[in-house]
Amino acid sequence: MMQTIVKSIVFAATLAIAAPATAQKAGGTLIWGTTQVARHFNPAVQSGYATAMVGAQVFASPLRFDDKWNPQPYLAESWSFQDDGKSLLLKLVPNATFHDGKPVTSEDVAFSIMAIKANHPFSSMLAAVERVDTPSPTVAIIRMSQPHPAIFLALSPALCPIMPKHIFGDGADLKTHARNTTPIGSGPYKLAEFKPGEHIILEKNPAFFIKDRPKFDRIIVRIFRDSNALAVAIERKEIQFTPFWADLALLDRLSKTPGIATTDKGGDAIGPLNWLAFNTKKKPLDDARVRQAISFAIDREFITKKLHNGRSRIATGPIAPGAPFYSGAVEHYKVDLEKANRLLDQAGLKKGAGGVRASLSVDYLPGSNEQQKNVAEYLKPQLKKIGIEVTVRNAPDFPTWAKRVGAHDFDMTMDAVFNWGDPVIGVHRTYLSSNIRPGIIWSNTQSYSNPKVDDLLAKAAVERDPAKRKAEYQEFQKIVVGDAPIAYINVLPYFTIYEKNLRSLPTTIWGAMAPIDEMYRE
Amino acid sequence: MAETEARGPWREAWSVFKRNYAALVGLGILALVLTTAIAGPWIYPVDPFDIVGAPKTPPGTDADAVLGTDYLGRDMLAGLVRGGRPTLMVGFFAAMIATVIGITMGALGGYYGGKVDALLGRITEFFQVLPALLFAMVLVMLFTPSLVTVTFAIGFVAWTSMARLTRAEFLRIKQLEYVRAARAIGSSNGRIIWGVILPNALPPIIVAATLATGTAILFEAGLSFLGLSDPNMMSWGMMIGSNRNYLREMWWAVTFPGVCIFLTVLAISLVGDGLNDAFNPRLRTR
Repeated sequence: MMQTIVKSIVFAATLAIAAPATAQKAGGTLIWGTTQVARHFNPAVQSGYATAMVGAQVFASPLRFDDKWNPQPYLAESWSFQDDGKSLLLKLVPNATFHDGKPVTSEDVAFSIMAIKANHPFSSMLAAVERVDTPSPTVAIIRMSQPHPAIFLALSPALCPIMPKHIFGDGADLKTHARNTTPIGSGPYKLAEFKPGEHIILEKNPAFFIKDRPKFDRIIVRIFRDSNALAVAIERKEIQFTPFWADLALLDRLSKTPGIATTDKGGDAIGPLNWLAFNTKKKPLDDARVRQAISFAIDREFITKKLHNGRSRIATGPIAPGAPFYSGAVEHYKVDLEKANRLLDQAGLKKGAGGVRASLSVDYLPGSNEQQKNVAEYLKPQLKKIGIEVTVRNAPDFPTWAKRVGAHDFDMTMDAVFNWGDPVIGVHRTYLSSNIRPGIIWSNTQSYSNPKVDDLLAKAAVERDPAKRKAEYQEFQKIVVGDAPIAYINVLPYFTIYEKNLRSLPTTIWGAMAPIDEMYRE
Repeated sequence: MAETEARGPWREAWSVFKRNYAALVGLGILALVLTTAIAGPWIYPVDPFDIVGAPKTPPGTDADAVLGTDYLGRDMLAGLVRGGRPTLMVGFFAAMIATVIGITMGALGGYYGGKVDALLGRITEFFQVLPALLFAMVLVMLFTPSLVTVTFAIGFVAWTSMARLTRAEFLRIKQLEYVRAARAIGSSNGRIIWGVILPNALPPIIVAATLATGTAILFEAGLSFLGLSDPNMMSWGMMIGSNRNYLREMWWAVTFPGVCIFLTVLAISLVGDGLNDAFNPRLRTR
């Protein structure tokens, strides 16, 4: 504790000295706050922003993206499809080096892509990749078994860290590799120090291959036990930058603090959806009309306006609004209790003693009260209005919940699932009947099965024409929302809280899961 | 004084008890709490889980929810009225479980002595050194949080002091002449333990059990505060636990159930003290 205090004072002093210099664009220290606990910083073997936001500073990736979903050159200065879209040629920048001074070559790219394919939890992300050819040190050709349009987003900083083969290719298991906590890459910052539960120190990479970047000399990521403690530190100006802030009650308080600004811009590719999933194998939820009735009974306006203080947006389907393949042409399930009651009558669920038609339980992902627990609790009085008695089942921790849902031992559960850029990466897994895999969380735990949907997703996964692909996803969204294996509630609100004098904030589609090499202090 | 001797020990105790004003006030509050817990749902028939207004409505601003609403828009008053029953039930049954285990362990140990006492004493000590709240948390987490598991968990960690008290009483009473007399006429061990010694050891145990009820209620509130309560049963502890995240915006949502718990536990303590005085012959002349 004392050590932390002393460090804070030292940091503050550093800042005070650095202050006159910050009138210019470059230099200075950025103190970053988070409550996320990363075990390591290698996004090749681990999804989630705890790992990715630091991983994206240490590792560079072949591509990066702007705020409109357009791929931008990063380690690859240019790229082109060959062979009817079954090969992607990447031309690498010539001057990129790893933090140990060794050059980044196509060998490293080939090694990294195949290692990610073998180790990353998103198995569909690189499933089509067969091998990576390396005709020259600056040319890598990704060979695929079929056209795979998702390959672009799969080469993002959050998903495709290019690892030095001479360090990670030593034959040790990558999932538990010793260097995952002390990685070196070719990104804008070098990992200088990691004290689990305390802080992460990132030092500027002076040999970064993009000229005049990054702007800050140093980033210090301070790790906080909970959002309350972090909020106090933000109010005391000890923290200058906090991405992925989700606590809305505290956000209201923080947004009133002078000198501090908040924004929900950036991070569209994450597509975090908050939803109510049904176990479509359990009676009476095997009847689509019952699921539709429940969806019609949920007042999403009340949830987003009242429970989320107007800070979250309504979700209408499996793809988050703002994504290129999003379609709003689906049933919106505007709250309609009469219709819900009618649907239940048609499904043969008659009101019994005390007006009860059926009793169902609802689980929720522990950890987020506003998004998960409160919405689950809201369902209890709300579904009572249509004669469904709801029992809330709480789980003391994540593994308990994941075990229940993974084992399909639930009626309904609140859940939060991310799109992760391309639908192939984060959307297909929830709906493909081939992905009904008991024991695995965030697979098709709803046991939803519709041959038409399977067919559409299979086609869209290999469709090279964006317009045709969009049409296929449009139809997919219409069918899935109609079949209602899931009642979509809202998009999880992620805010960035920052000091007002910071400029060029990370507002691309990956938010702070991308290299923060342009941000500076004015 | 001849009159006093003619009265039974219970009436005797009552005559002392009723002279203790603090104890009478406690009894009054307790009676009120019990009446509300039993008859409340008929007097104020609002489902505490129903959303009756906008979330976080302050008290006195909405006629539908005079004491305001919580973070979901549920009626605070309905919660307070219904919340007493599960809270008291957990307190009462947990104290009963603790008392039954405690008396059994203490009585057997105290009466038989020797190896039995040594064994039971070690077991008691084992439970005594475990941090009670942590142990209860582990038990509740192992099984899913529900009214029953919470009750058992509290009962299971709170019996040690009862066991030691009972053992001490047994050690004292088993030396007395009437116990020897019972043994001399050939009474069985079981009869001596349960029929002769226990009734005479009861007064301090009753006091301890009463106080244990208060402790158990606080325990339930503590567990609920940590989020380990039955989400389908509106108890005061659960109201505090689920509203505490919004403490800075809505003081009322934790204050009201907190005051309810405070008053109930205070009332139980006062009654317990009164009983202690009433059963203790040395204080009788006060």
